[in-house]
Amino acid sequence: MADVRLVGLTKFFGKVRAVEDINLYVRDGEFMTLLGPSGCGKTTTLRCIAGLEVPTRGEIYIGGQLVNDLPPKDRNVAMVFQNWALYPHMTVYDNIAFPLKIRRFPREEIRRKVLEVARMLKIEDLLDRKPSELSGGQQQRVALGRALVREPSVFLLDEPLSNLDAKLRVYMRAELKALQRRLGVTTIYVTHDQVEAMTMSDRIAVMNEGRIQQVGRPEEIYERPANVFVAGFIGSPPMNFIEGSLVEEEGRLLLDTGYFRFDLSYLAEVVKEKATESELVLGVRPEHIRLVKEPVKDAVEASVYVLEPLGREVIVNLKVGDVIFKAREEAGFRAEPGERLWMVFDKEKVHLFDKRTGKAIV
Amino acid sequence: MRFTKASVLKALLTLGAWVLALLWISPFLGIIMVSVRPVREVLHGWWVLRPFTFTWENFVNAWTGQLGTYPLYVGIRNSLIIATFSTILPLTVGALAAYAFARFSFPIKNLLFLTITLLMAMPPQVVAIPLFLLMSRLRLVNTYLGLVLVHSAWGTPWIILFLRNYFMTLPKELEEAARIDGASDFEVFCDIVLPLCKPALLSIVALQFTWVWNDFFFALILMMHPEKYVATQCLAFMKGEYHVPWGLISAGSVITMAFPIMLFFLLQKYYVRGMVGWLVRG
Repeated sequence: MADVRLVGLTKFFGKVRAVEDINLYVRDGEFMTLLGPSGCGKTTTLRCIAGLEVPTRGEIYIGGQLVNDLPPKDRNVAMVFQNWALYPHMTVYDNIAFPLKIRRFPREEIRRKVLEVARMLKIEDLLDRKPSELSGGQQQRVALGRALVREPSVFLLDEPLSNLDAKLRVYMRAELKALQRRLGVTTIYVTHDQVEAMTMSDRIAVMNEGRIQQVGRPEEIYERPANVFVAGFIGSPPMNFIEGSLVEEEGRLLLDTGYFRFDLSYLAEVVKEKATESELVLGVRPEHIRLVKEPVKDAVEASVYVLEPLGREVIVNLKVGDVIFKAREEAGFRAEPGERLWMVFDKEKVHLFDKRTGKAIV
Repeated sequence: MRFTKASVLKALLTLGAWVLALLWISPFLGIIMVSVRPVREVLHGWWVLRPFTFTWENFVNAWTGQLGTYPLYVGIRNSLIIATFSTILPLTVGALAAYAFARFSFPIKNLLFLTITLLMAMPPQVVAIPLFLLMSRLRLVNTYLGLVLVHSAWGTPWIILFLRNYFMTLPKELEEAARIDGASDFEVFCDIVLPLCKPALLSIVALQFTWVWNDFFFALILMMHPEKYVATQCLAFMKGEYHVPWGLISAGSVITMAFPIMLFFLLQKYYVRGMVGWLVRG
């Protein structure tokens, strides 16, 4: 087992910046997820750790050892690719045994290790089959088996669940997490699916445009996003945003959005200390909006746009001027399109961001 | 039975196809007919079927050379040796080079590849004299090695072109996975890439073997000793000064044709599957 440290990792493909100045520490035995939209550099980062890409700048340490000049086979990492990359001309047994055969393990030991891994992953009945004869879930387990059989220091997984159907994905998420807990292998997982990231990770590194936006535990990322991007990326439905300007009126600090004014007096001290300018973005999550049918103090008037019933809850889309807000209500909530409602924001859960930099103020 | 426009069209097309097929196959039919009958029966045309006397005499005479011609078994033996090594050598060298072109970066790679491709356009007749002089100075005239080297040199460029394009269709993740699993570049090439290229490799075997087997030009300029004549030379020299032994030549042709045809039939399922797969993947 080993920790992984990235120091100033930068990778350019020609003039295209894939990742820049990535600094990340993954503890020994930790499940770290690199989360972000397509093209944000998470796979490039993973490939640099694996040794499949040569960094333009920066250093990669695995178990305290600088590995920049080491080929992939000498880094003691194992990788599961998005499409699993099983060798189609080999049986399941030979696929799993391949890393051991290459390292000239004795035949008996290869057999013992392959059977052990196959039993753990419940694929011992599939050893004589070829990958084309397996289902998606079975292929994925074979790919995991091939990675596990080597007892690597670091496990690298590049969106391994993305080619599975939704039901199987949910099942395999739990299986993967349980497996990682049991084995205690340092794991770096790449995904664009925030549900996978939130449910499986010890910590998440949210990436965008080649840079790390925030690193933290899932609940930290969710409750205290570092900037607008993280706030908007995490959470489904995503956080509601509206821009506004700070105004002072009769001793009160207000955020004037053009459609309503939100009283920020209770945050005046923090805002005055941290806000570098008066243009801010107000963010509030759908579950932190309570809908009432009568106007109350600090409520924001809105009209119902559309309802999205999800079975256990209803997502209510509301229009405030040209801005759409989404609120979560319990199943059974009823409202007609065009109906007037009032939104009450949970003041303790409201977020404020600097409009220019996107960074969180509160 | 109703005669619709579509059914009449289909019948006409089928008839046309049959006619074309018969026209195509008739020379081969003619050769076979002349090879299994005494020459007196075919003097007025092989299509004259009466009288019809079946005989192996022409085959025996062509094979053994007992009528004074160069024995075909010598030519077949030499052709087998030369075609086999002239297939294995360029395939080995070409596959390695093709993999390098497909997967590695090195200086002047593109220029080198372009040069190899352009030089393929050169007809062998252009280099006949310098080739003979070169082989002569190297004392490789009248040797198996000399002819094998020439055929290998001629075959390697197209094999590189063919395989390089084929390698580029293979998913890179398989090779990356193998590298992470601990394989060296050579192990990746042998254990992962080559097994996946079986259809392409067998197609090359079929084509290169056939081209070398059918060669007459290089053999003519480099093999002068009758013991080293290849099958095509033996066939050509069966023609007499005053008389053409049609039966002998036809039997010799059938024997000579049989080897590449058998090879194609043996390998058919691999390269047809490979070609279809390549087209689908492309």
